[in-house]
Amino acid sequence: MLPAAAVLYFPWEVTSGAVQEGASVRTFGRLVSYQPEESRATLSAQHASKEHHVVVCTSFVEPFNPIVGAQYVVLGEKENTDGDDVMVRARVLNCVDGVNIALLQKAINEQRSFFMERDCKQDNAAQSADAT
Amino acid sequence: MQAATMDPAEEPPSLLWGMDPVFSAFARLYIKDILQMTESIQVPGIYFYNFHPIYKVDVLGTVVYKREREKFFCYGVDDGTGVINCLCWKNDLLKEAADPDKSAGKDSDGGQGGFNPAAELKKLKRAQQSRCRLEIGELLRVRGPVKTSRQQREIMASTFYKVNDPVMAVQIAWMMEVPQLYRQCYDKPLQLQPDASSDSAISPLGKATNIIKDFLKQRSVTRFRPYDVQELLEPLISNQRQAASADQEPVAGPSACQQLRQLLKETLQLLQDEGVVYRKVRSQDEVYNVTVQDKDLFIAVKDIITVDSKIEKYAEKGCHILHILTAVRHRYSLNVSKAVLELVLKSLECNSDIVSTRDNYYTVF
Repeated sequence: MLPAAAVLYFPWEVTSGAVQEGASVRTFGRLVSYQPEESRATLSAQHASKEHHVVVCTSFVEPFNPIVGAQYVVLGEKENTDGDDVMVRARVLNCVDGVNIALLQKAINEQRSFFMERDCKQDNAAQSADAT
Repeated sequence: MQAATMDPAEEPPSLLWGMDPVFSAFARLYIKDILQMTESIQVPGIYFYNFHPIYKVDVLGTVVYKREREKFFCYGVDDGTGVINCLCWKNDLLKEAADPDKSAGKDSDGGQGGFNPAAELKKLKRAQQSRCRLEIGELLRVRGPVKTSRQQREIMASTFYKVNDPVMAVQIAWMMEVPQLYRQCYDKPLQLQPDASSDSAISPLGKATNIIKDFLKQRSVTRFRPYDVQELLEPLISNQRQAASADQEPVAGPSACQQLRQLLKETLQLLQDEGVVYRKVRSQDEVYNVTVQDKDLFIAVKDIITVDSKIEKYAEKGCHILHILTAVRHRYSLNVSKAVLELVLKSLECNSDIVSTRDNYYTVF
């Protein structure tokens, strides 16, 4: 069976309540720490002068070569842990160091605005169809 | 907007599918849309996104699932909007590559200086092989037709390869490009020209020219006078009048005969402008010569080129078309236009009677 599609989210959206538990997500961040014995890595990203941490459970993607300080992209399911932290159980964890984060954010926004625009049009079309 | 909401009865007729440029392209759709497109009732295997007929797609995504069989790979590809199975047949190369050690054995020979095609080919094959075998998390680009098997959409890869994208440049470019493609093509309804082949689209003048051209060609006419072809155009005028009188009161205007003469005059002018016909002699007696049937003109033009190509000035480059034109007007007929001459030169060249040395220059060997 195929897994669910992993939608791209900004790290600060993953840490806030925007993503439901169990949902498949894809997000990015700088690797700030890795504890192999716990299979626990932490990605960090800055947004609006605040640092956001996404904890990644790496048990499915081990062994991997952790480069602390490098940009990573993670794809997996969001899980809530006992603590306040939000955890993503990674199915994919790729090092993409050198990525143009600003451009990536622009591309994500571009894609979202396209979908919003299209949904809007669909709603309008549906409404006008109802009206007639 | 989306094909999922399309009423099956609204399916565009299959005759028009080929008119849609999207039909013959690999559509770069989001996987979500590929999964939701409605399948055609007329022809299974064709799908509709927003009334665009689609049968092959082009996707880029992360491999999130893989299964290997003897003859194919099955990759689950995730582009952030959906996940789709891609059936990727192994080529012979990949099958025989079960023991890579064997092929890797003798490479070093090529390394001794010089270019060893066999070794290079092997390297190339190995590179190709490594691009076909993907692991979960790697980026895959797939092109191919969409199939539905066991109620599941999948892509039958006609091309597939691993994409090296260490800094996500390819993925970002893709993400920026696809919405533009949607806005410019896929989300725009196809606007076909109102049936270009039907009568209404062509003006009476266009129709009249075609009729006369056909007539001249079929009968191999060499010369004619206007009244020889006048009756060919009569149906056009009477049709027009019928159509007009159907929706409005007949108004006082030029009589049918006048209209016919006017149409004929315009048509002959157009044919002259195109160089299809010309008047060798301007006199009271309106005789039109058909350019391609005018053997004398052909001979005259060929002679001019043959003779003038020998002149030192033209020997190297050949004769320029304007030089030929002047000569033809001088020696054959003053009324030969450039369009006529171009037509003559073109057919002489087609018969290899003359050769163009470059644009607008001609010579004879």
